[in-house]
Amino acid sequence: MIVVEDLHFGYNGKNVLRGIDFKMGREIVALVGPNGSGKTTFAKHLNGLLKPLKGKVVVDGLDTREHTVAELSKKVGYVFQNPEHMFFEENVFREVAFGPRNLGLSEEDVEKRVRWAIKAVGLEGFEERSPYSLSGGEKQRLAIACILAMKPDYLILDEPTTGLDARAEREVVSVIRSLQREGHGILLITHDMDLVVRLAERVVLLHGGEKVFDGSTEEFFTEFDVESYGLEKPEVVKLGERLGLGFTRNLDEIILKLEGRA
Amino acid sequence: MAQFYIKRRSFLHSLDPRVKIIGMLIGIFTLMLFNEPLLLIGLFTALLIMGKFLAGADFSYQFKLLKPLLPIVIITLVVWPVIYKPRIEGFFIGISYSARLLGFALVTFLLLMTTTQKDLVLGFVKLGLPYELGLTLTISIRYIPTLYGIAGTIIDAQRSRGLELEKGNILVRLKKMSAVLIPLIVTSLKTAHELSIALESRAFGASKKRTYLRDLKMTKRDYAFLIAMVACFMIAVYARYALGFGYVNFYRGGA
Repeated sequence: MIVVEDLHFGYNGKNVLRGIDFKMGREIVALVGPNGSGKTTFAKHLNGLLKPLKGKVVVDGLDTREHTVAELSKKVGYVFQNPEHMFFEENVFREVAFGPRNLGLSEEDVEKRVRWAIKAVGLEGFEERSPYSLSGGEKQRLAIACILAMKPDYLILDEPTTGLDARAEREVVSVIRSLQREGHGILLITHDMDLVVRLAERVVLLHGGEKVFDGSTEEFFTEFDVESYGLEKPEVVKLGERLGLGFTRNLDEIILKLEGRA
Repeated sequence: MAQFYIKRRSFLHSLDPRVKIIGMLIGIFTLMLFNEPLLLIGLFTALLIMGKFLAGADFSYQFKLLKPLLPIVIITLVVWPVIYKPRIEGFFIGISYSARLLGFALVTFLLLMTTTQKDLVLGFVKLGLPYELGLTLTISIRYIPTLYGIAGTIIDAQRSRGLELEKGNILVRLKKMSAVLIPLIVTSLKTAHELSIALESRAFGASKKRTYLRDLKMTKRDYAFLIAMVACFMIAVYARYALGFGYVNFYRGGA
């Protein structure tokens, strides 16, 4: 359980976060909001990269103010937006091994974890390739594997599908789904409402450093006025509404409901 | 980050950048003419006062800019009396060189505090620097904060993977730095490559003779200040070489 209480943060005299309360367990939560709303600043508090000015952040009983980022990295993994900002090893295997090695594991355990993480993101056979030689989607999956190999309970994914084509996006989405099935809590930072409706069970909307919505994805797209925050409902939701089917997450659901009605 | 420019409406702000660049050079040569400790301290103080009244920069701000030089100044003050005999002369040399060093820095800051980057580069180009070099200079300065930001992100990303830069001895830390430096270098090279494509796609270098959106114009004030500076410099040279003013022959004993 990640518990955030009355979190305040600011720099250069600017208040970026103004009193945020938040809890998450092993679920997929989408963190949305316009640029500058404080999403990344908020997320950086969850693994201790930033420490609260006021209020507190507690991860499975650990107060982030009392623990280093390295200690917290076993609990909360943070996959940054641009995978290339973390690659520096000569091949995929060594790249994934960097995190577990920092945890001080034995070579045997490191190897086990690396094989497991590479398999989890479907990059088997890429072990000897240079990270920079991979395609966009492969790089994104490698970035996830690098963090996954540290076996964190929670994963923060910052814009994991931006700039990916449809196929690469599908691959990343399926990796995220399988991670959630295996019991990881996932915080998805994104602008992509299609991704939200496909993946998230819950949505948190930040605006001007405050939490303005926190509830189920269905509630977010049906009862909440998303347009007034400059967000657009996904086409599939609109289609379901136009057909009078209520909230629908994907085409299969629409077809099922239509068949049920017929 | 190293942002020297301060927004004011001072006398120095209003001068043509070319005059200020020449002024900086004259200032540096003047400081090199003399080696008498009291005189150099006097010149340094005069520069501080110029900064306050002609550039509108508080003394505290000027000292803040000079602060990074403190270690070099201390080393200079400590080392000269140790390596030079008689020690009392070494002590004075240390003071002279420190005052001169601080003077060099302050003269440069006077220019940087009162001139925007754009004007500075335009000034250099108008003084004969090839435009390509001027542009390179602007771009490098422009990208310092950007790279600084990217470096911060990379450090955050690697810390999230359990990297602890503050642990271990120097060799271990240097080795750890590669986790930050390699992504930073790769990102910089990619940015540079993209920038070159962007420049070419906007027809950079298509015509030999460039025109400028903003042009520099020397006013009467600029000429007056320039002439005054050159006159002062000539007086200083005369005082130094004809009258032997402000110069102590420390080296007469031969070290």
